Amino acid sequence: MPPKPSKSKPDPAGPPSTPKTISGFTVLALTLPTLACLKFTTTSLSTPIKHCLYIKPHEPKTPSPDDAKSLFIANVPIDADEGSIRSLFQEHLGGAKVARVEFDASVPGGVVYKRWRSEGGVGNASAREEMRDAKKKGMAGGRDGGKEQRGKKRKRDEEIVAEGVIEDEKSALPKIWPAELRKSGSGAVVVFVDKASARGAMKEVKRAGKEGREVAWKGAEGLGVQRYKSHHHLQYPPKSVLQASITSYLTQFSTAELARNRLRSKLRSVPDEDGFITVVRGGRAGPARLEDAEKKKEELEERKKKNGVREDFYRFQMRERRKEKEGELRRKFEGDRRRVEEMRERRGKVRLEG
Amino acid sequence: MLQDGAYTAEVYKSNLFKLQVDELLQQLKPKYGKKEAPAEKAMWTLKTIIEQIPSRAPLSIPDSETALESEKIVIPFPNPRPPRDAKYKMQYDRPTSINAIGSYPLKTTTRAEDELAIDLAVTMPKSLFQEKDYLNHRYFYKRAFYLACLAAGIRGSKEHKFNASFELLNGNQLQPIIVIRPIRDGNADDFSASKCRIHILPALPDKMFLESKLRPDSNCIRPKDSNDKPESMRPKPTPFYNATVQSDASISPYLKFLHYSSSKCNAYKDACILGRTWLRQRGFGGSARNGGFGNFEWGTIIAILLQANLGDGVPPLSSGYSSYQLFKATLQFLATRDLIKAPYAFNSCYNSSDFSVSTAESTPIFFDGPRNINILFKMSPWSYERLRSEAELTVDMLGDSVFDQFDSTFILKANAPNYRYDTTLEVPLAAFGFDSMSETHDQDILQACRNMYFILARALTNRVTTISFHMPNQGSWPVTSRRPPEDQKRRILITFATNPSYANRTVDYGPTAENKKDAASFRQFWGEKAELRRFKDGSILESVVWSYKHNSTPVIQQIILFIIGKHFSAKLAGEAVFTTDRLGHLIPSGRIVGKSGIEPFSPLMTAFATLDKDIRGLEGFPLQIRHIIAADPQLRYSTVEFPTYASKTFPHTPASVVVQFEGSARWPDDLAAIQRTKIAFLLKVADLLSSSKSTYVTRVGLENPSQPSLNQAYLEIILPSSLSFRLRIHHDREATLLDRQLKDKSLDGFSRESSALALAVYKREFQHLPAHTQAMQSMCTRFPALSPSIRLTKRWFDSHLLSPHFSPVLIELLVVRTFLQPYPWPVPSCATTGFLRTLAWISRWDWRHNPLVIDFSTFLPAKGSTDLTGGNTKGLKAEDLDKIHLSFEAWRRIDPSMNRVVLFAASNIDPQGTTWTDRGMPEKVVAARLTSLARSATGLVREDDDRLMSRLAGEENRDILSNYFTAEALFIPQLKDYDVVIHISSDLSRAGEKRKESKFKNLQIQLESQELGDSQKIGYDPVELFARELQEVYGEALLWFWDPEALDVIAGLWNPSATAQRGFKVKSGWNSLPVNTYKQGQKNNQGETSHQVEIQINKGAILNEIGKLGGEIINTIEVR
Repeated sequence: MPPKPSKSKPDPAGPPSTPKTISGFTVLALTLPTLACLKFTTTSLSTPIKHCLYIKPHEPKTPSPDDAKSLFIANVPIDADEGSIRSLFQEHLGGAKVARVEFDASVPGGVVYKRWRSEGGVGNASAREEMRDAKKKGMAGGRDGGKEQRGKKRKRDEEIVAEGVIEDEKSALPKIWPAELRKSGSGAVVVFVDKASARGAMKEVKRAGKEGREVAWKGAEGLGVQRYKSHHHLQYPPKSVLQASITSYLTQFSTAELARNRLRSKLRSVPDEDGFITVVRGGRAGPARLEDAEKKKEELEERKKKNGVREDFYRFQMRERRKEKEGELRRKFEGDRRRVEEMRERRGKVRLEG
Repeated sequence: MLQDGAYTAEVYKSNLFKLQVDELLQQLKPKYGKKEAPAEKAMWTLKTIIEQIPSRAPLSIPDSETALESEKIVIPFPNPRPPRDAKYKMQYDRPTSINAIGSYPLKTTTRAEDELAIDLAVTMPKSLFQEKDYLNHRYFYKRAFYLACLAAGIRGSKEHKFNASFELLNGNQLQPIIVIRPIRDGNADDFSASKCRIHILPALPDKMFLESKLRPDSNCIRPKDSNDKPESMRPKPTPFYNATVQSDASISPYLKFLHYSSSKCNAYKDACILGRTWLRQRGFGGSARNGGFGNFEWGTIIAILLQANLGDGVPPLSSGYSSYQLFKATLQFLATRDLIKAPYAFNSCYNSSDFSVSTAESTPIFFDGPRNINILFKMSPWSYERLRSEAELTVDMLGDSVFDQFDSTFILKANAPNYRYDTTLEVPLAAFGFDSMSETHDQDILQACRNMYFILARALTNRVTTISFHMPNQGSWPVTSRRPPEDQKRRILITFATNPSYANRTVDYGPTAENKKDAASFRQFWGEKAELRRFKDGSILESVVWSYKHNSTPVIQQIILFIIGKHFSAKLAGEAVFTTDRLGHLIPSGRIVGKSGIEPFSPLMTAFATLDKDIRGLEGFPLQIRHIIAADPQLRYSTVEFPTYASKTFPHTPASVVVQFEGSARWPDDLAAIQRTKIAFLLKVADLLSSSKSTYVTRVGLENPSQPSLNQAYLEIILPSSLSFRLRIHHDREATLLDRQLKDKSLDGFSRESSALALAVYKREFQHLPAHTQAMQSMCTRFPALSPSIRLTKRWFDSHLLSPHFSPVLIELLVVRTFLQPYPWPVPSCATTGFLRTLAWISRWDWRHNPLVIDFSTFLPAKGSTDLTGGNTKGLKAEDLDKIHLSFEAWRRIDPSMNRVVLFAASNIDPQGTTWTDRGMPEKVVAARLTSLARSATGLVREDDDRLMSRLAGEENRDILSNYFTAEALFIPQLKDYDVVIHISSDLSRAGEKRKESKFKNLQIQLESQELGDSQKIGYDPVELFARELQEVYGEALLWFWDPEALDVIAGLWNPSATAQRGFKVKSGWNSLPVNTYKQGQKNNQGETSHQVEIQINKGAILNEIGKLGGEIINTIEVR
């Protein structure tokens, strides 16, 4: 929907009523608790404060089996968590049972993994096949949906990513925030236990909107100083916990590295449709070998310098160089002139300060 | 054009410079056209009037006075007044000639001033004078009478009306002149359209008096009682008097000489205009009080230097020089030749010893033989010293081959007191106790200034580099009255440029006790302050000892006031107003103590050195340590607050440190695994450290939880002194791996983007930050005032709530620029000047079109074992600068609306330019706010300078307070500019905490024992965390501002472009509210107004959420 820059004007007939639907979403207004610390100097903001959720059945571009039992909520409150969404449906919207909630954008965000391109791109046919194979086996992850959901859906111990490993409870570092926040204006997918509850919930939402039912929002608890205090505490986990997490990470890493190397070596040996073999990294290039390579490069350059034809050997070389220099001077002068002109245009006449 | 280009590069500083000079000249030169025509017509009219003035028969002095009194003219006799019984007669006769002289006919004048001055010389006929009239002011009395007659004639003219008044030529009381201004009546004689004034100068006919009588070493004012004295006593020479007579006699010879020079040398006129501009911007003028070095002196020196001196052969300047070369060479001459010690005599039979009298009075000599005059006779020792140092500075900056110094040479006002001087003393004229009605008043003041100059210079030695005296000029007075006495409400301004390394030295060593004569003089000079002391090296010396602690009276102030009190009067010392480093007190230990400004950080630096030693000394660590490098503003002396042992309740943020190990094949070759391995190493270090140093508290902290390829952990080390450090491991393989990912096309776009981001973070944290820290460390040791200036500037950013939007490094770069490219001023020597000049630069910085470029090279230490700058220690060259400009222009091309990069700051150690400013650090709105804040601050400073000037002129404001600048005014945030202001509850804000700390010492101890333990509390800052979360959660809807040092308010601005009412979008990025929008005129079939649903920002809900998120952190939220 394109934004309308046209002048808007409240309904002349009466006070502006809140729309019930917007772009296929049903609007659900939530009542927020009043806070003592808010001081408004303009009256327009002091009317009872509502938060608006936009809800509709979940219909992502790439469908998945869970879609039918999910609802999509846009504009979730920043303090929403699984518990608060669950109790929202439980207590106010007919008691549909929520299985889980997947949030769009959290603060701090979920772990971001680096992945290979899943389709198109430069990968050769067999590599793609390999990927597809892996996918069938539930190994490789293509990009789908939000970045956060990616890791969660798959079996972690089997998936291979381009770097590191998909962390599980053992290998992940301890969490440093007691709870996540949601970015303002972000969305969430609510997955219900079955299709019927999802449908029921949606109906209930529509009804609530029509009735103008008072739905109170109760967000997550434990905000304020308590949250920051516990973050500060969590930031420094016990050393033993850290040590254990690293150990299991590195074990999982060596398994994953083996699998990655298999993938790579396959890529290395198979030609693509055009008959080219993609050169990919293989084996180790330790720092020692890197230094050797640098040295060799330098040596080669040195030799080139000694044996090559000197640049001022022929007269035409000298002439050309002189020409080049003149051209350079000219270019520079023109450039400077342009700059001064631009300067003059910007600030007008030269004016002495004071 | 090509030749022009190739040519200018050599003869001018650079093309850019030359082009700008051309533009400047074109702009400044009057056109000699329509605008000037009325003035020229007025000159003709004046000439006709003067030619028609009838002669007057000889009159005695009393008669002449009464005669003119009847015409309502008071003869402007100089002091001392003529004796009433004088035997000589006053007389008026038609002038022999009337000529326009000076820069106007020479075409070397400029339109820079409000008013153009055109000089008209009226040559008096020889018949009026006698051979000996040069003696005892006789010439000047006759000249004054002549002038009065001219004034009477002009006033008496029936057809033409002009506004005539008297004024002193060059402030010299011997030489009154007539100033003609238009009467603004729109008549034929009204030349106000020309914006001119006309000076009428009486001139002596050439060769009227014997040249030998007016030499600098002859006496022309005979003592009254000379008859009683023995013949052998030669009366004291009167060089100033003689030169004044001679200057009247050489008016037309100079006109001829300068004309000759401008016809011989093409660039002469332009060089004069350049010099004129340069002098103007530095406040020099021909008048004695402005320094006695003005346009005439400048033009004459060039003209003379273009001539070969007798016996020297080649002239110092060649007539083939370009205007720029003439300008620079003349400055070079002024800068390098000490004309007091080595007078310059042009085509004259005199040698230096003939000038011994003048040089003894510290008057510089530039003697023009053919015209028999020392053209610098009006200069005082301080103005000459100032001229030389300004010339030296300019020669220096013209030698800069990288940066264009055009603006600092010609455009900037270099003598605004707040920027130019760090220390000033205002002395009310009345405190000297001179009789303003006395005939010797002018002489007395001048003499007092001289004495004070020499005494202060002796007392302050190398603590100051220049001392100068400033007094406003006396204006004109009506021809109908006597010259008014000097207004005693006026003040003399004495300015000092201090040397920060010595300014507050506490001991001055005098001569040894054995050296009786010197010791006696020392004792006499210092009085009761002088003491004989035995020093550590065994020597016994006369000495003076001062006491100095933080926030006590600065030593330099103690000395100045003491010495004025001793050698002048206690009244004078009491009424003098001393200012130095006026804003320094706004930061803790802002004033420089000892030799450098970095002293407050020494506990932390020592602790760092110890830690370095301890970590290197760990036994049993599997890897060798390559280096441990500081990467924290605290470790480069750049934080407002500095860590101390004492403040346990309010611990400092741990200082970041980077450790790098020797290469090893044991590292995994995968970014995520490298990060985990780092944690293992950190745990190992922690383990070994706590076993070898049981007093150290260590803990491993986690960071970047959602980016596994970024650094994941740091080791916090808390010393028993409560000073703490954060250690991160740098593994250089990361760069290669990230680089490889960037180029790896088999990775998906999203992953490559995140690699690019990670590479930028890696480079910033592990390469640029340590390199910058190292560079700043050496800068701060080199420039004593740098550290305090940075800290004061950061306080300014803090108090205007701007700090969260600027990398601290960027602020440091802005300040260090003021030190590395200080022009047109010398390097700042205290926090205040460093800060004010930085602000002034920011206010001028056109960041849309210009990058900030810093060249550390000249001052970086030689390559050491820990060379972080990657062999890039060599300085910037012109090509490098071009490259930086190119990449700057490239950024502006790809991101013209400046959504990603707004400010661009490059240096020789980081030519990339976006390291500290990428991704909206700051955003455009914030950068614009910075500029506007800096502009209003410089406006306040300028107002203060104006106030100072009016104070000097005696126009004191009745309200004493408003006479002085309230420094704090620059640091008050404008909270009313924000939409949302979150007031933090005072138990949690730092400002509140600090208040508590000072108020209730006992409560503080109780608080301490509560909750988190001492070391647990380090780095804990809930308000800062809250503010950062607000930024992350509402970053698109609101811009947040806060002061990280005080943390008492967090202010927000709705982002107007992002939060305007709009059509629905699933991911709008902000909390919205649906609204019905009705469109006028559009009706659907049923005749109803068609409507559409749009979304609007839901401010109420957002504020409600914020209130909940903050909880007890928030006291109130104010919404406008």
